[in-house]
Amino acid sequence: MTPRRHLLTAAAAWLVLSAVSMAVVAGVQILPEIASREAEVEDAAFVLLTVVSMPVLWFVVVGLAYSALRFRAPAGDVEDGPPVHGHRGFQAGWLVVTFLLVIGLFVYGAVGLLEIRGAQSADFEVHVRAEQWKWHYTYPDGLTSADLHLPLGRRVHLVLESDDVIHSLWLPALGVKQDAVPGRVTQAYTTPTLAGIYGGRCAELCGFGHTGMTTTVEIEDQASLDAWLQQEEAEPSSGS
Amino acid sequence: MAAERRTFPILAPGLPRAVIGAAIGAAIGAAGAIGLNGEAGQILGLGYLFALVGFLLGIGAFRFWLTWAIGREVDVHEEHAAHGTAGDWRRYFRFTTDHKVIGVQYLVTAFVLFLVAGTAAMFMRVELAQPGLLTDKDTYNTFMSTHGAMMITVALVSIIGGLGNYLVPIMIGTRDMAFPKANALSYWMLPLPVLLVAINPLLGGFDSGWTAYPPLSQQANLGQQAYLMAFVTVGASSILSAANFLVTVFRMRAPGMSLMRMPIFVWALTVTATLALVATSVVAAAFTMLLFDRLLGTSFFRPSRGGDAILFQHLFWFYSHPAVYIMAVPGLGAILEIVPVFARKPLFAYPLAVLSFIMIGVLSFMVWAHHMFVSGMAEFFHIPIMLTTELISVPTGVVFLTALGTIWMGRLHFKTPMLWVFGFLWAFVIGGITGVYLADVPTDIVLSDTFFVVAHFHYTIVGGTIFGLFAGTYYWFPKITGRMYDERLGKIHFWWFTIAFNATFLPMFWLGIEGMRRRVADYPPEFGPVNLFVSFAAFNIALSVAVFVYNMVRSWRRGEKAAANPWNAQGLEWQVSSPPPIENFGDIPTVTDTPYQYGSPHLPAPVSGPPAPAPGAAGLRPKP
Repeated sequence: MTPRRHLLTAAAAWLVLSAVSMAVVAGVQILPEIASREAEVEDAAFVLLTVVSMPVLWFVVVGLAYSALRFRAPAGDVEDGPPVHGHRGFQAGWLVVTFLLVIGLFVYGAVGLLEIRGAQSADFEVHVRAEQWKWHYTYPDGLTSADLHLPLGRRVHLVLESDDVIHSLWLPALGVKQDAVPGRVTQAYTTPTLAGIYGGRCAELCGFGHTGMTTTVEIEDQASLDAWLQQEEAEPSSGS
Repeated sequence: MAAERRTFPILAPGLPRAVIGAAIGAAIGAAGAIGLNGEAGQILGLGYLFALVGFLLGIGAFRFWLTWAIGREVDVHEEHAAHGTAGDWRRYFRFTTDHKVIGVQYLVTAFVLFLVAGTAAMFMRVELAQPGLLTDKDTYNTFMSTHGAMMITVALVSIIGGLGNYLVPIMIGTRDMAFPKANALSYWMLPLPVLLVAINPLLGGFDSGWTAYPPLSQQANLGQQAYLMAFVTVGASSILSAANFLVTVFRMRAPGMSLMRMPIFVWALTVTATLALVATSVVAAAFTMLLFDRLLGTSFFRPSRGGDAILFQHLFWFYSHPAVYIMAVPGLGAILEIVPVFARKPLFAYPLAVLSFIMIGVLSFMVWAHHMFVSGMAEFFHIPIMLTTELISVPTGVVFLTALGTIWMGRLHFKTPMLWVFGFLWAFVIGGITGVYLADVPTDIVLSDTFFVVAHFHYTIVGGTIFGLFAGTYYWFPKITGRMYDERLGKIHFWWFTIAFNATFLPMFWLGIEGMRRRVADYPPEFGPVNLFVSFAAFNIALSVAVFVYNMVRSWRRGEKAAANPWNAQGLEWQVSSPPPIENFGDIPTVTDTPYQYGSPHLPAPVSGPPAPAPGAAGLRPKP
């Protein structure tokens, strides 16, 4: 087989595998739970990166597999391969393609980042205080609870602080992960889109009790949130 | 025998005297700290410092410099004896200045550490095999932190310290490193800190992971302090060794070996040494400040007294991201050195590969904050760091261009080292692709601090460094030991390790996306079945490594004798006997080209079986 035939055969295999796998992953939801605008943006980023990864992965895999199958030297072979030290066009093409790919991914990532953290405005603010190994949430009217309750469809501003070591509030369904750092105030934003009760946990190793430092977040419409706040005011069920 | 002439052999420089020296030093340091009414941490600190000095004095690390410093003539015979005698096994346990002895010392130490740290990983997988707790969480955290700290050391020293020390002087055609005594010193600085990390559970263990973020690491046990002190010592050794490599490479190359004729492995180590030299001092400073916070009451990173916990993370990652390349680039270099030999083709795009290594080195200093996307650092900083982090995949990707370009249309011989090359390329492309998910802020917010990160860095560090280390160890084993390894056992090791490795870490990507945090001893029950599978696969990694150890030990003792050039390769190291003689070369060779002239028509056809002596090889001509 001529070098050209080898190249064409491998390229055809690469094209087919890439196209099929890209089509398959393009329609998949990757994150297990999506209950906020931010989590939607993050899931879309996952899907895009996975789609773009497919041709890259197959390029290497097809290159290796094809070579292992077709360029294996017979036993006892003492000959050398062709003395090719490089190929200017191929090298330049490789650099240009990888560079453009990277710039494209960067622009897409920057747009997503601005969508998640860019608009520094919100219409509901909750203060989050972390300590070993508990979370405390304080609402605009001064009420404090151990579970997080957030209104559906409004942009929420989370203001995080820590009393002792670094913790990290991770609310997977809401697309939020933000460290709470002693001596600093950190921020996160989320816009809940789906009512329900979701899990949350501390993501930054914070000592002995880190494994058990979990929390729950309930997303409900404004009316039931107000009702809950009033009820808590009357007879606190939890929190400190 | 210098030792026999003395009245008290125990007082001759060597391991027994080093142990006594360490004990006396520890006693003096501890007594001093107690005398000053020190706390436990200060007693440990001073005791360790003095023990280290006592150990190095005992092993004889400073004897020539001290003799010179007090104005006496250095005993030439003793200096010569310190270089070691061929075939004498005792030189491996002494302060020996021969770079080949030091290389073997590093390599064997690294593999021993690899086994110890791997054992810690097995304990982790026992705990994680099922939801619920077998031990308590502190024990788990100590195993996890110790596994991390030790494996980082393995990845940092195995290739550069082991294969690098052994091979670089031979590959550039010189007789030893530029500073043989400093070279031996940088090795002998390691045993004590390594031991200190190994015994940290006796000091209460440490639960902060290898990253040691304050304030958690400020309130942790004495084991934490042991780790910090050990890390600073290893860092000092690393800086010393890096300076030595750079001077050797830039000043001691054989005639004709221009920079652009250097083997790619030497280039990789040159970039690595530059990174180590520049970056290590930053983390050493950060860890020293942290030690001061713990021991002397300063508040660099203590928020309750105005310190800044995020500052530590910046300093830590300013070293520790370049450190990822200090670990990976030597592996990439070893892989690219091996590919042409078993593909029987010149290294594809050699100049571009060199340029890429340099670019990786430069860019690696500008990407550190991608470890901190959810840390609460300055908001604007996300954008430039995301850009530089994604840009570094361009030079890193050139490794694939070079490897695939060399393999394509080659005549491939699937000896064990070549299998590891293929395994490396698979693992490293997975590591590279998943790295993009962590560089992209929207996906990183989800993945930060999850098992996805654990899977990713095992694919890059095991895939990059350990696959490169195994490839290199098999490839250069005949050169180093003078014997062939067992090819069948080598292949069993490769397939078993590679399948088990992928079965262990591929599911972890899924676990991370589904929400399993890293550094936890327990997890929700729904992750149980996958974790059980992962633990089973992880035990298989350990078993496959047992095959490797058996193969190495047995082949070293009674493997088939190796020829000078069993692979028919062109590098200078293959033109000397196996193992090379003391001081490597009778006459220093003259180099005429890169060692990648496979298939060139003007060269004699390669021979199989026992090779022709030096003059037949390409790229090399004995000095007239």
